[in-house]
Amino acid sequence: MTTINLSDLSELQPIYKKLAGGYHISEQDTVLWQQLDHQFESYDALFYGLGHELKRDSRGFFYFGADESTPNMGKTSRSFALTLFVLIEHFANQGKDPLRALFDDVIDLELMQTVVQLNKHLFDQLEIFSGSELRKEVYGRMVRFGLAREVEQGHQHLAPVYRYIDALMEVNDSQYDLEEDEVE
Amino acid sequence: MIPAKKILNTINEHWQTLEMLFKRFRFANFSLKDVQNVIKSKNPSYSSERLFKEANKLLNQEILIPLAKSSQLEINRAIADFISYLLQEESLGLAEEITVLVSDLERLGNRLEEAGNVGDHGELRRFSRIMDERVRKIVKLYEHNESAIMNLVEQAKADHSSISLQKRYHAVLDAFDEYIEPMLKMVDIHGPFQSCFSKIENQISEQIINLGQVGRGPDDKRMLEQLRTRILDMHLIGRESLRKSADMLLPLREELRRNTLITRQTASVLGLIRKRGVEAILTPVQPNYVSDVQKFSLGQQRHIVSYMAQLSDFQDEIYELPDALDIPSYISPTIPDYRDVKSRLSSFKGKKTQLLGFLTDSYPKLDADELLFLYQKIISDSDFALEQQTAKRSVTIAGQQFTLYPFNAGIKQNGSL
Repeated sequence: MTTINLSDLSELQPIYKKLAGGYHISEQDTVLWQQLDHQFESYDALFYGLGHELKRDSRGFFYFGADESTPNMGKTSRSFALTLFVLIEHFANQGKDPLRALFDDVIDLELMQTVVQLNKHLFDQLEIFSGSELRKEVYGRMVRFGLAREVEQGHQHLAPVYRYIDALMEVNDSQYDLEEDEVE
Repeated sequence: MIPAKKILNTINEHWQTLEMLFKRFRFANFSLKDVQNVIKSKNPSYSSERLFKEANKLLNQEILIPLAKSSQLEINRAIADFISYLLQEESLGLAEEITVLVSDLERLGNRLEEAGNVGDHGELRRFSRIMDERVRKIVKLYEHNESAIMNLVEQAKADHSSISLQKRYHAVLDAFDEYIEPMLKMVDIHGPFQSCFSKIENQISEQIINLGQVGRGPDDKRMLEQLRTRILDMHLIGRESLRKSADMLLPLREELRRNTLITRQTASVLGLIRKRGVEAILTPVQPNYVSDVQKFSLGQQRHIVSYMAQLSDFQDEIYELPDALDIPSYISPTIPDYRDVKSRLSSFKGKKTQLLGFLTDSYPKLDADELLFLYQKIISDSDFALEQQTAKRSVTIAGQQFTLYPFNAGIKQNGSL
């Protein structure tokens, strides 16, 4: 039985507010991150009691796990995924180290326009038709979920983006499923 | 013959120029104009006449030499090696180089043994010296390659954005394939180097013992002992250096592998998405978020799943519905127990009793329908001898008028109650 001393959890309110809104707390949110890091067990137990699953990723971020998304959230998440995958491909095509570029490069409007143009038919499916829409629809939300932050020239991805890279590697299995379906 | 000191002075004077030429052109060729440009960039104050003179000086002292049948120049190989040594800008050698030297060492070891066996001490000393030379060379090669690998790693790590991934790691992978892996195989404890060295060591040890027995001068003996130590030391240095090189390169190779994995995976996933649509591919894998709406919703999928699981586990107890026939019909509480009625009727001995009359007399408080119920019960009872009248009669029961063919009942002659 974990004993939770509420007076130790000084940042409980902002942490809960952010996490419950789907935000990912990564190392850039220094105060909140440190609190979670030091008092992980207490917060974990407390949130568990409230019906949330506090997840801690070793790559340096915290979030509430969820099994499913609302239809709107699902669409948003898909647009994040597509944007990130397309960017990885774009960086690799340029001969850059895709992972490093994904985290180090600033995603500016010009780059957004380029990737939307190059993958028009994919972004059409998500009703994103231009670079500025991508910035508004995808990067605006990414900032809200703690996946990216705004910098002078554009946006920069943060560590929680790794969730999408995990998802990318996961496609393998479902891909086989699809192929099996075809055979049948 | 140009005096060495003069060359050294020139090199000293033009070191910056030479360094730049070396870094820019390596072992490729360049024109006199390039040389003048470099000198100018380093010494902006020089007049064009001075530039020409300085460039010529480098040429005259054979620090720069013209390529055959061409006006292009290159840095004198010996000087270039010297510069590369000074700058530690070494390029990676091949595993083959070291292998050749080691097999040469083995050959020399055999010669040394032969010389020792025939007692030719002059030869013995000579081969010992040559072997010593070879060992130093091998050690130098190890060190050289190690610093070359260090350069490779630094280049691969530095300035990642400007050169392509493939170029960046090309050298790393080459180093692995052409140097590290074959070398590791060679210096492996069961590898060819080990057996070669232990053989040479044996040979030298024997010669040392031999020398001791013959009583030759201690100088030869010490020389051989030194050689033996140096060979052992070389082997150790080689192993160390290779381990260090491999350690430096491995992370880079891992990084490359991971990156190619991610790139390949991205390409195949995007291919799938293009074929089947964004939703179909991404929906099952996309990360999910907690959202405000969910806070107010009934439950997440897992809650419903567990609820469903409970439902599917549900087992009903076997509950049998009652048979329609088993239901006792409604009996008015005022009706007396049929058994009482029966015994009362039986006590009416003698004549066949007029049933209805008997019932109205015996139970004056009952309603008509209740009396008829009893009547019906009695006439269907096989314990009584019944007799139906042939004439229709009107009877008044409990204030109601009935017309019927009434039954009379008497006790069956053979029956008993």
